[in-house]
Amino acid sequence: EGLIEFYGSFKEMFEFFCKNTTIHGTIRLVCSGRNRMKTAFWTLLLLASLGMLYWQFALMFSQFWAYPVVLTMSMDSEPKMFPAVTICNLDPSRFELVSEQLEQLERMAEESLTFLYGPKASARLSQLRDRNRDRDKDGAIRVQAWANLSSAGFRLSHNFSLVRMWDPRAGKKHSRVGFRLCNSTGGNCFYTSHPSGMDALLEWFRFHYMNVMAQLPPGLPQHQQHFQDLVYSCQYDGEPCRPSDHVHFHHPVFGSCYTFNSKGTDPFWAATKPGIPYGLSLILRAEQKEHLPLLSTVAGVKVMIHSHNQTPFLEHEGFHIRPGIATTIGIRQDQVNRLGGNYGRCTTDGADVAVELLYNNSYTLQACLHSCFQQAMVQRCGCGYFYYPLPAGARYCDYSRQPAWGHCFYQLYSRLRNHRLDCFQHCPKPCRESLYKVSAGTAKWPSAKSQDWVRQALRHQNGYNSSSSRRDIAKVTIFYRQLSSQAVHEAPLLSENLLLSSMGSQWSLWFGSSVLSVVEMLELLLDTLVLSLLFCLQRLRTRRSPGGSSPTPNVSLALQNSRELREE
Amino acid sequence: RLKRTLPVRGPQAPTLSELMRWYCLNTNTHGCRRIVVSRGRLRRLLWIVLTLSAVGLIIWQCAELLMNYYSASVSVTVQFQKLPFPAVTICNINPYKYSAMKEYLYELDKETKKALETFYGFSEGKSKVRRSVDDWNSTGSDFFEQIPLLKVEDFSRTATELHSGQKRKIEGSVFHKDSSIVNSGDSNDIIGFQLCDANNSSECALYTFSSGVNAIQEWYKLHYMNIMAQIPLEIKEKLSYSAEDLLLTCFFDGLSCDKRHFTRFHHPLHGNCYTFNSGESGTILSTSTGGSEYGLQVVLYIDEADYNPFLVTSTGAKIMVHDQNEYPFIEDIGTEIETAAATSIGMHFTQSRKLSKPYSDCTETGADIPVENLYNKSYSLQICLHSCFQKAMVESCGCAQYAQPLPAGAEYCNYKKNPNWMYCYYRLHEKFVKEQLGCQQICKDACSFKEWALTTSIAQWPSVVSEDWMLRVLSWDKGQKLNKKLNKTDLANLMVFYKDLNERFISENPANTLVILLSNFGGQLGLWMSCSVVCVIEIVEVFFIDSLSIVLRRQWQRAKKWWSGRQQGRAAQAMASDVERQGHENPACIDEDLPTFTTALRLPLPQDSPLPRTPPPNYSTLRLETAFTEQLPDTLELGQH
Repeated sequence: EGLIEFYGSFKEMFEFFCKNTTIHGTIRLVCSGRNRMKTAFWTLLLLASLGMLYWQFALMFSQFWAYPVVLTMSMDSEPKMFPAVTICNLDPSRFELVSEQLEQLERMAEESLTFLYGPKASARLSQLRDRNRDRDKDGAIRVQAWANLSSAGFRLSHNFSLVRMWDPRAGKKHSRVGFRLCNSTGGNCFYTSHPSGMDALLEWFRFHYMNVMAQLPPGLPQHQQHFQDLVYSCQYDGEPCRPSDHVHFHHPVFGSCYTFNSKGTDPFWAATKPGIPYGLSLILRAEQKEHLPLLSTVAGVKVMIHSHNQTPFLEHEGFHIRPGIATTIGIRQDQVNRLGGNYGRCTTDGADVAVELLYNNSYTLQACLHSCFQQAMVQRCGCGYFYYPLPAGARYCDYSRQPAWGHCFYQLYSRLRNHRLDCFQHCPKPCRESLYKVSAGTAKWPSAKSQDWVRQALRHQNGYNSSSSRRDIAKVTIFYRQLSSQAVHEAPLLSENLLLSSMGSQWSLWFGSSVLSVVEMLELLLDTLVLSLLFCLQRLRTRRSPGGSSPTPNVSLALQNSRELREE
Repeated sequence: RLKRTLPVRGPQAPTLSELMRWYCLNTNTHGCRRIVVSRGRLRRLLWIVLTLSAVGLIIWQCAELLMNYYSASVSVTVQFQKLPFPAVTICNINPYKYSAMKEYLYELDKETKKALETFYGFSEGKSKVRRSVDDWNSTGSDFFEQIPLLKVEDFSRTATELHSGQKRKIEGSVFHKDSSIVNSGDSNDIIGFQLCDANNSSECALYTFSSGVNAIQEWYKLHYMNIMAQIPLEIKEKLSYSAEDLLLTCFFDGLSCDKRHFTRFHHPLHGNCYTFNSGESGTILSTSTGGSEYGLQVVLYIDEADYNPFLVTSTGAKIMVHDQNEYPFIEDIGTEIETAAATSIGMHFTQSRKLSKPYSDCTETGADIPVENLYNKSYSLQICLHSCFQKAMVESCGCAQYAQPLPAGAEYCNYKKNPNWMYCYYRLHEKFVKEQLGCQQICKDACSFKEWALTTSIAQWPSVVSEDWMLRVLSWDKGQKLNKKLNKTDLANLMVFYKDLNERFISENPANTLVILLSNFGGQLGLWMSCSVVCVIEIVEVFFIDSLSIVLRRQWQRAKKWWSGRQQGRAAQAMASDVERQGHENPACIDEDLPTFTTALRLPLPQDSPLPRTPPPNYSTLRLETAFTEQLPDTLELGQH
C-alpha cells in the first residue's frame, strides 16, 4: 500500500466521494445517476442549501465582528477595603518666599474693587489684610533670606487689570467684567468676561496667584503642618487611627490635605460591617483662616472619597463639610468593568496610553486628561499650567517670563472644552472603575448641652484653643451603607463559544455535515487538482513520444495498486 | 463443554480491530468512515489526526459551555406605577428626657463631671446640688469604683485613678493599638478605662482612645447601658418622648395626618421612635404623585435643652426609610437631620432580586440559617449578625446585651447580677469584629431586598421673615402642654418624598436554560463531527461495552485453554502448545472451534487488514457478503445445544 494513492479517473473519484462523503444529499446524486431530472433536482437542492448556509454564516459573522456587548449587573458582597478618604482644610499656607508678592496682589485686588464698585467695597478686605500682616510680621524677617534667591526678577504685572464692559445691545444696566489677554505681539486680544463681578474677580485673582506661586522652586520643603492641627480625633471601626494611615500633601488652593488609607492594603482598613459605628469617624478643625480670602470663599473642610492609589481631584469631586455640624456620609460602592479589546477602548493600567502620565498614581481618565493638557500647554505655550504637575524639564508659567501665556492658556483651554484638542481621543476610560455613591445626613454638633465639656476635652488634649461660641469644629463619619456593591460588567453578547455552537447548528440544519465534511471537500479538491495535473503530464508524455504509450511509472504503479485493491 | 453452557453475549466482532472497522464503516459520525475507506497510509493518518482533534475540540467547547451554565443575567425593569410609601422611622437623637432621667443617672453624671474636672480642669459653673439618692442608686457607686476612668501615661504603663489619684500599675494586656497620634502634643497621657475579669483580677484589658471626647462618651455609655438594663420597659417608654412631644405637624400626600398614623417602637439606644406608615393598621399608604408636595412632611420638636450632655453630642433627629417588614437599624444606617433647617429627602425606589443557589450564595427567607431571628421581622443580613452575636453573648456571658432584643429565657446584663459581663462583652465584641465567632460565615445575604436611595438637601428654615409668625403659631399649638415660646433651634422640618414614581426592579435570571445548553451542545457536536446523542450512545456502546467484552472474552478463553491443557496431561501438551502458538499469531482464530464461530460471523474479510491472516481452509467457503448475523456466535452455539 502506497503512502497516498490516487484514483484511475475523475469519474471514479467522484463516485468514491459521493459514496463515502458525509455531506447529506450527495449520495442521491450518485443513486439518481440514471434519472437526469432527479440529478438536476438534487444538484439544485444542494446548491440552494449551500447558499442558505453561507448566507446565515455571513449574518452570524457580521454580528460577531460588530462585537456587541451586554451589560450584566451583579450584586457582590465580597469583603472589601474601606475607600481612600482625602480631607483638606481649605487653608493654603502662605509660603514665606512669595508672601510679599501676595500682599501686593491683595492690594491690587483692593484697588480693582475700588475701581469697579467704589471705595466702600474694599474696606473689609483691607481690614483683613492688615490683620494678616500683623500676624505675619514675625515670619517676614525670614522672607528676606529667601527672596534674594529667585524672586528678584518677578514683578506683579499691571497689564491685566479688571475692566467693566458695557454691552451695547443689552442697555446700561447690563455690564460684564473681565480682563484682557493678548498674544506676545500684542495682537489678537480678547477679554475673559463674566456677567458677575465676583466671578471675574476670583478668576483674575487666581490668574495672578498662579503667576506668583510659579516663583516657588519645585522642591520646596513643605510647610510643616501637624496632623493634629486639622484632625482632633480619628477612629476607624472603634479603634484609633495610626500615624501610618495617612499621607500628607499640599494643594495650592485647598491647603493641607491628608489622605487616609491611600494604599488600601492594610488589613486595619478592611470593612467588616456596614453601619455608622464601623466607619471612619473624624473630629476636624473647620476654622476659616483669613489667609488669601479671595482664593476660596467657602469655610469648612473639603472631603473626597475615592479609590485607592488614585490622585484625588478635589476640584472635581470633593464636597464640603460645614463647621458646627456633624455630617454622616453613607457610601455605596458601584463597580464598572469594561471588556476592552475589540469590545471598546479601555485601559487596565495606562501603560498602553499614548499620553505620559504626570501623576505617579494609578490611571484615571481625569489624570490622563490633565497630563495631556499639560503636555499640550508645554508644547504650545512653552510653560506648564500651575495646578498640574510638570513634565520633565519644563517650568511653570509666569508672565514675567512668558507675557502671553494667559492668552495661550485660555485659548487652549477652550479648545479642550470644545473637544478640539484630541485629549479625549488619547485618553480611554479605565477598564475597572469604582464609583462611590454618597448620601449625607447632618445634625448640629456639638449640641448646646454638651459643647462645654466637648470643647474642654479637646482643648486639653489636642491643643485646640478657641472661644466656645464659634463654630469651628466639625465631625464627619464616613461609613458603608451596605457592603454589597453593584457591579456592572460588560460581557460579550456573542462569545466564540456560542458562535461556534450556532454555526454548528446551522450546518447540521442544512447539510447534516460538520467541519470534517469540509475537510472531505477540501480533500476532493486537492485530489482533483493532483489528478488533473497527473493526466496533463501523462498526455504531454504521450505526445512527446507518440510510439510508447506507457504512462509514468509512479502514477501507473499507484493506479495499478488501487485497481488491484478494488479487485481483491 | 463449559463454554457452551455459559450464556455469553458479546459484540458483533471477534476482535478489537474488527470491531473498530465495523464501527467506522457503519457509524453516522463523520471522519471515522474516512479512516477506513481512505486510500493511502498518509491519508489515513491524516484522517485519524483530524477525527481525534475534532473530538478534542468538542470536549473542550462543551466543557466551556458547561462552566458558563451557572451564570445569571440581570434584567432591569423600570416601571411607572403607584408606589407604596415606605415606612419612615423618626427618632430624637437623644433617647430619654434628661430631666426625667436625672434620678437614675445622678451618680453617673456626678462621676463624669468629676472625671472631667480631674482630667481637664473643667467645671460647670453652677453645680446643681440635688440630693435624691435612692437606695437603688447607692449600690451603683462601688461599681463606678470598679471601672474608673484612668489617665494612662503611656510609656510607664501606670495609670492615675480618678478616685484616689493614686497610681497603679496596669496589669494584663493593653488593648489600644497605637495612639501616638495624640501623643505628640503637649500632653502625652491618654484617657481610657480598664476592664478586668472578676474571677481572675490579673486578666485585664485597657481601652484607650485617641481623643478624650471618645473616651468619656464610651465610658459613659458603658455605665449607662448598665443602668438602663435595670429599668423595665414600661418605665423607659414613659421616660422617653411621646408622639405629641416629638411631632408638631404632619402632612402626607397633601392631607393632614396625626399621631395615629405613627406607631411607637422602642429602640434600646434611641428611646421611643415613631414609625410612619408601619402597616400595623393593615393598610399601607401609597403615593400617586411624586414630588415634595405629596410626600410626608413633618415638623419635629427637638427639645435641645433636655438633652443628655454626655450620651449624645449632636442635636437633631434620626430618620430611616425602610420596608414595613424590615427592622430599622437606625443606629447603624439612620440619616441625621438638622435643627433649624428644612431637610428634604428625595427617594428612588429600587427592588433587587438575586437568584439563590447555585447561582449565588443567598437565602430567601432565612429559614435555612441556623441562627434564630430575634427581631420578629423579615430576614436580613444585619438581623442575622446581631442575633448571632446576641446568642454568643448569652452563651458565653450568661446574659444578653442591652442594645439587642432578648432571646427566650435570657435577661439583660446588669452589674448586680453579672459582675463580669462587661469584660466578657468587650472580649466577645473583639472576637466578633475579628470574625472569630463564625457569625460572618453563617449569615448570608438576603436574596431580595428593597432599597430607597436617598438624596438629601438642606435649606435654612424657618426663614427670617416667616420665623416670627411660624414660631408663634407652633407655640400656640403646643401651648396646652408647654408654656414657653419655641425656639427655632428646637425645630426641624422634614420632608420625605418620592422624586419620581419609577420603580427600578433589578432581577437576576438564569442566563442559560437547559434547552439552550442542550442546543448549544448539539451545535458543537454537529459542527465538528455531525454527531448526535445517538452517536454518543453508540460510541459508549462500541468503545466501552463491546471492547471490554471482547477483551474479557479473550481472557476467559485463554484461561479455559490453559485449564484444559492442564487436564489433558503431558501427552497432549505438545499438541496444545502448537495450537496455542497459532492462537498467538492470529487473534482471529483463538479457539479450536473457531470455524463455527466465523461461520456464524459471515464477515467479508477486510481487504487490507493489518493483521497477518492464516485462514483455515474450511471457512473460506462459508464467507458470505452480509456483515453480521443477528445472533451472536456464543448465543448461537447455545441455541444449537
